[in-house]
Amino acid sequence: MRIFHKTSFDFIRFRKIAYGFSLVILASGLISLAVKGLNYGIDFRGGSEVLIRFEKNIDVSTVRSVLDVAGVSGSLKQYGLDRSFLFSTVFNGETNDLKSLVSHALNDRLKDNHHEIVRIDAVGPSIASDLKWSAVKALMASLLAILLYVGFRFELKFAAAGVVAIFHDILTVLGLFSILGGLFDFMPLEMDQSIIAAFLTIAGYSITDTVVVYDRIRERIRGQKPSDYERIFNESMNQTLSRTIITSGTVLLSVLVLFIFAGPAIRGFAFAVFIGILIGTYSSIFVAAPLVYDWLRLSKSPVHLRGSKVS
Amino acid sequence: MPSMKNKRFNLLLIAAVTLVAAWSLWPTWRDYSLSKELNSIKSAPDSLKYALSNRDEIENARKKSLKLGLDLKGGMHLVMEVDQVDLFEQKAWNKDAKFTAIMKSVRTKASQSDAKVLDILSGEFKNENMRLSRYFYDIRNSDQEIVKKLEKESEDALNRAKEIIRNRIDQYGVAEPVITTQGSRKLIIELPGVSDENRVRNLLKGTAKLEFKLLRDPEILVRTLDRLNTYLVQNSAAQQSVPAPAASPSPSVSSQLKAPAAAPARPVSTKPLYDVIGVFQNGTAYTTERSRDFVISLLHRSDIQALLPQDTELLLAAKPETGKNGEKLFPIYLVRKTPELTGGVITEAKATFGSQGVQPEVLMAMNSEGTSKWARITGANIGKRIAIVLDGAVYSAPVVQSKIPSGNSVINGIESLEEAKDLEIVLKAGALPAPVRIIEERSVGPSLGADYIRAGVLSLAWAFFAVSVFMLVYYKKAGIAADIALVLNIVIVLSVLAGFNASLSLPGIAGIVLTIGMAVDANVLIYERIREELDSGKALKSAIEVGYDRAFSSILDSHVTTLSAAFLLYTYGIGPIQGFALTLMIGTAASLFTSIVVTKEIFSFLLGRNLMTQKSFG
Repeated sequence: MRIFHKTSFDFIRFRKIAYGFSLVILASGLISLAVKGLNYGIDFRGGSEVLIRFEKNIDVSTVRSVLDVAGVSGSLKQYGLDRSFLFSTVFNGETNDLKSLVSHALNDRLKDNHHEIVRIDAVGPSIASDLKWSAVKALMASLLAILLYVGFRFELKFAAAGVVAIFHDILTVLGLFSILGGLFDFMPLEMDQSIIAAFLTIAGYSITDTVVVYDRIRERIRGQKPSDYERIFNESMNQTLSRTIITSGTVLLSVLVLFIFAGPAIRGFAFAVFIGILIGTYSSIFVAAPLVYDWLRLSKSPVHLRGSKVS
Repeated sequence: MPSMKNKRFNLLLIAAVTLVAAWSLWPTWRDYSLSKELNSIKSAPDSLKYALSNRDEIENARKKSLKLGLDLKGGMHLVMEVDQVDLFEQKAWNKDAKFTAIMKSVRTKASQSDAKVLDILSGEFKNENMRLSRYFYDIRNSDQEIVKKLEKESEDALNRAKEIIRNRIDQYGVAEPVITTQGSRKLIIELPGVSDENRVRNLLKGTAKLEFKLLRDPEILVRTLDRLNTYLVQNSAAQQSVPAPAASPSPSVSSQLKAPAAAPARPVSTKPLYDVIGVFQNGTAYTTERSRDFVISLLHRSDIQALLPQDTELLLAAKPETGKNGEKLFPIYLVRKTPELTGGVITEAKATFGSQGVQPEVLMAMNSEGTSKWARITGANIGKRIAIVLDGAVYSAPVVQSKIPSGNSVINGIESLEEAKDLEIVLKAGALPAPVRIIEERSVGPSLGADYIRAGVLSLAWAFFAVSVFMLVYYKKAGIAADIALVLNIVIVLSVLAGFNASLSLPGIAGIVLTIGMAVDANVLIYERIREELDSGKALKSAIEVGYDRAFSSILDSHVTTLSAAFLLYTYGIGPIQGFALTLMIGTAASLFTSIVVTKEIFSFLLGRNLMTQKSFG
């Protein structure tokens, strides 16, 4: 079976439209980030969360009012679709007290619907700032590592465009998290550690797709005249289109499985990776390679590529 | 073209990797099948018999099998912080108001950032233009020397805290606890399968600082309370900041008191202290359960502490006594601040029931130094009361009847045998060098863990099914090779985890699921290249050779980038995220081997038997 066999799309000609499309998406994400901001999970915000599961169906407002009456301050929301509720409140280091407070309130007032506290997470403020910093460090370090590696394997222009594409992908997902955050009960889209893991996965994978395209361009561009670059870029992208899409396709498949089956704890992560890989595939064709093309065209200097094999 | 020798090496390598993986996963399989067999036996005596006769194998298999993470098994992950500010305060001498102010600001700053407490401390001193030697160690020491000494001190404290907490956990009995230190002041504690979280929290957080303190005479206590009351009256008249009357004892209690609190007139009470503290005729003071928190905060105020007689402090009882009408009363004691003896001399502790056989208590024995000191102290204070204070709360304050030469002492006033047992544990383990606090906690109950396992297995199965079927449909016969490689890849990931005693968590499973999708990428790159070479008219054998050769550079690049991202995630990530990064790293590295070496050998095997055609690549 073959799809995208012997295609001849003129990607380079459509690059301006793609640039525009990307800019619009990025801008709307950034605006939402500025206006609405992000929903931080307790990893980064600090606080305590109690996951409560009931035996029978119960309305979120019923549970909320019971906790309100008992004087337990905090916010309650549906978690997943499983008679489970996530109660979040401030961190005070006394998890025992919090647990017994919630437990007693629910036992006293909802006697016929037995509940179980299945998970407690408590993150103190110093840990939260710790986690935030290590997340930022990990992201920066990985971008730097990728820049160095691709720069070493190809050339600075390729590496820089690749990193721009990664930024593009991560910012798009970040923007989407801001726009869609809190809109769905089945996935709260909170920024937590797992989303940072998703970003790093996206960064690592976005460059994978890009490298596949770069690799072919490198193989074919050696010794060619700058006037042929447009043709070479287009042909390279068309030749690698099938593998770019199939490799992303298999990963998308397994991430989709995670999204559906792995439960609410993983859902935000799966969503981020899914969107990230989708955007990453798009960006390797419509952002990374065209940027290199434009850069080469404007700089008018011939490329010095490392590592290309002569066969 | 690989030589015969090269080829034989590859085959040997594949065989070796498969064998090692199988060997590493064998205990996991045995563990699974043994416990399944055990569960299938209906009657209890039979299953016990089976367990006993196969005990060695069961234990061995369990020890070496793939461990499940805390989230899958249920358990607690705790991060505890050693209170370094408190530690440094202990080390200081000549403490004055200036010092207290500096330490207070250090404490606030330390709670908000992850910077080293020592850096904050020396920064504060520099801001104040003061030398550390004014309060620490020798006056002749330079700041640098003192910082070095304090650093050593806090390192020691962290390691001691780790040992003590390990002792406590071992005594309590948790299977396979993991305790590690992180940075200069954090302990990470992983407790799988803990069922009574509340008890564990209490067990871990207490400092277990045991002190024997001499009680001051009741008259001094009464006089001191009067002085405090007068101060509070003046103070509240000036500031109008009287404690909320809600904190006053119930009328039934106050009726028995020497200074009964009539319904306090708002806003200024004439006896604010006696609204919350009652004094009996015999000169003992009490507070009620409702007022307890307020009294504690009152006693912590530095202006209140300054009014106490030299070298004394007011302490509350750990447990309430039951008053005449059934209400709970907490006695208040005035004791000498300098302890007569501290818990360091305790060598043995034992929870038992007291002489009447109903009240649980803890018997303690002391070392020889402690024994002789204890004999001297008790001998010198016959007829007086000595308070037994644990972590700042008085457990009991018995009257010394006679000199105690044996070095024995008793803690009573304990509510339950369980609590007595926990006291025994913390006393045996010794006191922590400084208070520790839980600053992060993640507990998962066993039922949620079971859910996670179900979700994880389901995801693994579906991802494998979807990806392998896709490869078969899209690449036909070549897809079989990719699928075999995929199976081997998953086996390798699990076997590496089992072999290195790492545990599998839900994020770890997510990492494997993602690996399933990424591992076949190498095959896709190779197969697409082979198709291309076939299209350009190359013969099958050389198309395969060229395909592997040419695709290699993209595969390497993509693997290196994924690996480095995963590695950084592992380095900077904490806890659950590391599990994800770990499986992703192992899976990606393994796929370099499985997707390239293994599939190539499969092809050369098939080619050798003429089982492949141009159509084999779909």
